[in-house]
Amino acid sequence: MPETILEVTGITRRFGGLIAVNDVSFAVQRDEIFGLIGPNGAGKTTLFNLITGLTHPSSGKLFLMGQDVTHQRPHQIAAKGIARTFQNIRLFGNLTALENVMVAQHVHTSSGVFSGIIGTPKARREERHVREQALHLLDMVNLADRAETVARNFPYGDQRRLEIARALALQPQVLLLDEPGAGMNPNEKAGLSGFIREVKEKFALTVVLIEHNVPMVMGLCDRIAVLNFGQLIALGNPAQVQADPAVIEAYLGDEG
Amino acid sequence: MDQFITTYGFLIIMMMLQAVLALSLYLPLMAGQLSLATPGFFAIGGYVAAVLSTQKFLPAPGTTFPEPLQSFVTWLATVFPLTPTGQGFPIGLVLVEMVIGGLLCGLVAILIGLPALRLRGIYLALATIAFVEVLRVVSLNLPITGGAIGIFGIPQPFPTDATKFSYIVIALPFLLLCMAYVYRLERSRVGRAFIALREDELAATAMGINPTYHKVLAFAMGAVMAGMAGAMTAHVLNTWNARQGTFDASILILAYVIIGGSRTFLGPVVGALLLTALPEVLRQVAGIDGLPDFLAAFLRDGRLVIYGFLIAFGVLSFPQGLLTPELLKRKKKASAPLPPTGGG
Repeated sequence: MPETILEVTGITRRFGGLIAVNDVSFAVQRDEIFGLIGPNGAGKTTLFNLITGLTHPSSGKLFLMGQDVTHQRPHQIAAKGIARTFQNIRLFGNLTALENVMVAQHVHTSSGVFSGIIGTPKARREERHVREQALHLLDMVNLADRAETVARNFPYGDQRRLEIARALALQPQVLLLDEPGAGMNPNEKAGLSGFIREVKEKFALTVVLIEHNVPMVMGLCDRIAVLNFGQLIALGNPAQVQADPAVIEAYLGDEG
Repeated sequence: MDQFITTYGFLIIMMMLQAVLALSLYLPLMAGQLSLATPGFFAIGGYVAAVLSTQKFLPAPGTTFPEPLQSFVTWLATVFPLTPTGQGFPIGLVLVEMVIGGLLCGLVAILIGLPALRLRGIYLALATIAFVEVLRVVSLNLPITGGAIGIFGIPQPFPTDATKFSYIVIALPFLLLCMAYVYRLERSRVGRAFIALREDELAATAMGINPTYHKVLAFAMGAVMAGMAGAMTAHVLNTWNARQGTFDASILILAYVIIGGSRTFLGPVVGALLLTALPEVLRQVAGIDGLPDFLAAFLRDGRLVIYGFLIAFGVLSFPQGLLTPELLKRKKKASAPLPPTGGG
């Protein structure tokens, strides 16, 4: 019996009269790659924001490893093991690649104000460890040679990979990727699937991803949830989803 | 040299204190919070020092302090020799007042910061201006702060030094300590969390950084510095009243940070030193022989106009401030071609 790591039950979010996410329930199993697809405005990113606590649900619940985290604040949810990237990249633009990844190790370090300022041996050791860890992560996304480059000066694809490295620095259980392939050229996209698999194996992650590129989602994901107008219209493995008439009508049919 | 100190001794002390105030505004800004509360905390610190030194720390003539304060004062006097002439208010007590003023301001900052820091951007700035104004009106009306007259006759540690330059034994170490504090902070875990909040609050919280905690912490750190600076300034000025710490000061201190640069601790310090010295420099320039009368008069009397013009010019030509982290980094690389990895 696979272990449920992330579960949403009857989650709903209204923005005034608009119901962005409407009574959605699903469970993500440990170790799977879970895809979230749907036409534009279907509520995918809102769902990500709900899972990471950036928006609070109007009703419904969110469980992480069996624990109710519905009303926790974003930094608490992050500390419990959910890391994410953003659809419109949100790096710390004026900081270097290295600093971006160092910041994200915040919850796994403990130096306080004064130990950090005085530079106690423990704080120094921690600082060194954080730096090494960050360089290691940058190395993994092939950015180690540009560790001192300011984040906003990176080309688009590199910014996406840097954002993933930053998310990994959080040592998450679950990694949420919001359109990791957006804006990438076909070449970069081809490499992306392999990269996501590699990262997942290496860090023993569960991955939830939003992606518009249907062939990529079909090839990469173990299971897929399809949203349309805020509602969950299908959930299953790629073959099941592809064959579902509701999906074809709402989404794949439009794409031809 | 003596001539120089006689003329500029007081100015140099003021430059250093203003630099500390600039750092105190820079700290919350480091966490992305535009707070103009610094003059408020500066005023509180000054009143703490004024009240303590005129009413609490000086026994009535012919008496001594109640124990254990008397032993403490005696001990302080041995650790910090009174003054070069052996008389005057113990420096140690000035330091004690600075600590008490700083801690009180830190406490007030936490109480105010918890609700106020829910506001963002310009709204926070407005709320902190309101705080400064409320404090001003309250201090105008309280008996303990001396009402509109304020508190005067604040005891002098250096009663024989009319230039006040002797205060450099406190002001310089104080400024250097504050600078070292912020320098180290920028390179530590907590400082990085501040900067992450400034760069992108949403992303920072999604990376596990508690926004409320760090914003209040940064705000309180700035308040402590402003309070300590206020406590010392009260002694330097010899008098303290509600004209210290007003809205004008808020804007002036903000100008230090904006002109100097708001992304590295050196920016506010340099901005404060330059802008505080500027009126004196202008006066000197006006005194040069052979200058047309109208120009000399303008330099002398129109310095606020020039001030405003320079601020506008500075903001337009150096929107990031005079000093930016990139500029400093480039300098470092050029002078010391070491590999960039070198433990902190």
